[in-house]
Amino acid sequence: MKLSGVGASEGVAVGPAFVPRTDRPEPQRTGIVEDEVGAELERFGDAVRVVAARISETAEGLRGSGNEDEAGIFDFHAEMAEDPELASAVEERVRNLESPEAAVLAAGEEYAVEFEAMEDEYLSARADDVRDVARQISAELMGRADSGFEALQEPSIVLAKSLAPSDTARIPKGLALAFVTAEGSRTSHVSIMARSMGIPAVVGVGDALSGALDAETVAVDGTEGSAITDPDPETVARYGELSQALAEERAALDRYRHAEARTADGRRIEVAANLGSASEAGGALEWGAEGVGLFRTEFLFMERDDLPTEDEQYDAYSTVARVFGGKPVIIRTLDVGGDKSLPGVDQIHEDNPFLGWRGIRMSLDTPDLFKPQLRALLRAAAHGNVKVMFPMVVEAGELRKANEMLAEARRELEEEGTGVGEIESGVMIETPAAAVCAAELAAEAAFFSIGTNDLVQYTLAADRGNERLRKLQGADHPAVLALIRQTCSAAQEANIPVGVCGEAAGDPQLIPILLDLGVTELSMAAPSIPKAKKVVSEWKRT
Amino acid sequence: MAQRETTVGPEAGIHGRPAARILKAAKSFSSRIVLVKGDREVNAKSIIKITGFARKGEKVIVRAEGEDEEQAVETLAEVIAADEY
Repeated sequence: MKLSGVGASEGVAVGPAFVPRTDRPEPQRTGIVEDEVGAELERFGDAVRVVAARISETAEGLRGSGNEDEAGIFDFHAEMAEDPELASAVEERVRNLESPEAAVLAAGEEYAVEFEAMEDEYLSARADDVRDVARQISAELMGRADSGFEALQEPSIVLAKSLAPSDTARIPKGLALAFVTAEGSRTSHVSIMARSMGIPAVVGVGDALSGALDAETVAVDGTEGSAITDPDPETVARYGELSQALAEERAALDRYRHAEARTADGRRIEVAANLGSASEAGGALEWGAEGVGLFRTEFLFMERDDLPTEDEQYDAYSTVARVFGGKPVIIRTLDVGGDKSLPGVDQIHEDNPFLGWRGIRMSLDTPDLFKPQLRALLRAAAHGNVKVMFPMVVEAGELRKANEMLAEARRELEEEGTGVGEIESGVMIETPAAAVCAAELAAEAAFFSIGTNDLVQYTLAADRGNERLRKLQGADHPAVLALIRQTCSAAQEANIPVGVCGEAAGDPQLIPILLDLGVTELSMAAPSIPKAKKVVSEWKRT
Repeated sequence: MAQRETTVGPEAGIHGRPAARILKAAKSFSSRIVLVKGDREVNAKSIIKITGFARKGEKVIVRAEGEDEEQAVETLAEVIAADEY
C-alpha cells in the first residue's frame, strides 16, 4: 500500500514499523483515604519535580543543538509542570480524597478547556500543552513512563496519528528512522523535529494511515512525501541502498557543515540558506547556514482571506533575525503576480503573469500593501542584521522610489517613537535589464543578489515550467553567464557584495563557475549547504 | 500592599516569550503578586494563568503583598509594559 502526504523532511529510510501505544494509562485508583493525604501530596510534589527536570533536560538538549524555538516549547512545559496554580488545584482535590494521579488529569483538563475557549489560535493550541504535561505527571505518579515508546527497541519507522513534543523528545536516540503521521504540515512540530534530527518525515497522509498500522515493514521517501507499507524485496533493497548512500554522503560532509566557508586560496564566501517561512530558520542553522540569502515573504500572504498585519509580519521577520543572531538575513519584499490572488488588491487577469504586474511594480503601485511591509522590516531590524531586497527591478528609478518609501517609513516610525534598526537595501538581479543596468543600480544598492531561476527564464525566453524547454533552463548558458559576469563587475566596481540565490547557487557543478565570475555569497536550500561548503573549500582561482 | 497600573507592551500580548519574562520576574520576588484586569485576578507566578491574560494595549494592575512588594510592583509593571522581546 502506498501512502501519500507532505514530504516534511528529506531523505529515505526503510525499516520495521513501530506504532507507539496510544492508550494513555488511566488511573486505576481514583480515591484515597483521609490518612493518606499528606503522603500523597508529597508524592505529587516529587512527581512534579521529576517531570519538570526531565522536560528541562530536553529543552537544554534542543538549545544546545541550535533549536531555540523548539527549546522554548519545552521551557513552557517545564513551567507548567511546576505551576503553583496547578499544584493548588491538585492539592484541593487530593484533600477531597481524589488520588493525585486522577486529580492532576482533572485539573489539567479544566485549564485545557479554558485555553480552548480562547479566540486566539495560538492560545487555544496551548490546551494540548496543558494536557500533555498533566498526563506526564499522572503517569509518573502511576510509575509508568508515559511515552508510548517503551516497546521501541530497534531502529524503526514511527507511524502515528500525530506526535506531540513530549513524544518526539522521548524517543531514545537513534531509534527513529523516520516519521509518518496522519496529521501535520511542513511547519508542524513533528516536521521541525524530523529536520533537526536529520531523519525523513512524511506528514499529513490522512486516514490512509489507519490501514497501514499493522504493516511490518515501511519504506519512506521524505523527499517525495510517500511511504510504502510492506514493500517487495527489491524496493526494500533499493531504499536500503539509497539511505545508506545518503547517510555516507552526509557523514563525509559533516565536517564542512559548521565550518566557515572559505576558498582554498582564502577568499571568504558566505554560504547561506533560502527560507520559505520563519519556522525553517532553526533547521537552516543546523545545516550550517551562515545567514539567510533569501527569505521569501509570500508565505505570509498566501492561503488567507485578509492581508497580514504589520505586527504579524514583524513577528515573522524578527523571529528569523533573532534566530540568526548577528548573521545577515536578507528579506525579499512581496513578489506575487497575476498568477496568485491577493486579498484586497485589485488585480486584473493577465495572460502572462511572469511579464506582468508583480514584485516591485505592484509594491510601488500599492503603498497600502508595501508600507506595512517596510515598517515591519525596519522594526525587525532592531533585533538582528536584517537587509531588505527588492524583486523584479528593471531600472534604477524603481530602486530609488523603493528606497524613498523605506526612508519615509523610517521617519514615520521614528516620529511615533517606535524602535527601528539599521537596514541595508539591495536589489534582486533577475531580469536581463537589471543585469545590463547593474552599474547604475550599484550606485543605489548596498548589495546584489542574482536570482538565477528567473534570470535564466527571462534571458532565454524559456518558461521554466515547460518540460519541453528543459535544455533551455540551465544557468550555464553563455548569455546568462555573460549577464552574471556583468553584474559581478559592476558590484566589484562599486565595492558591494554580490550573491546568487537561485538553484544554481547550490549546484556543485556551477559553484566553481560562479566563484570564478566573482560571486561572494551563495544562498540555497539548507540541505545543500554542507556540500556547497565543501566545493567552495576546494576551489581556487587558476 | 502596593499596586500600580501598567499597559501591556508586547505586540503578541501576554504569551510566549513575554509571558516567560513576566513569570521569571514575578518568581524573583517573595511577595504574593497578582495581575488584575477588570474583575479578573490571576497569580503572576502561574504560567497557566498569565498566558493569554491580556492583549497589547490593555491596562493591567499589578498588585503585590509581602516584604518586597514595592520593588515587585515596580519591576513587574516595567516588564509588562516593555515592547521588545
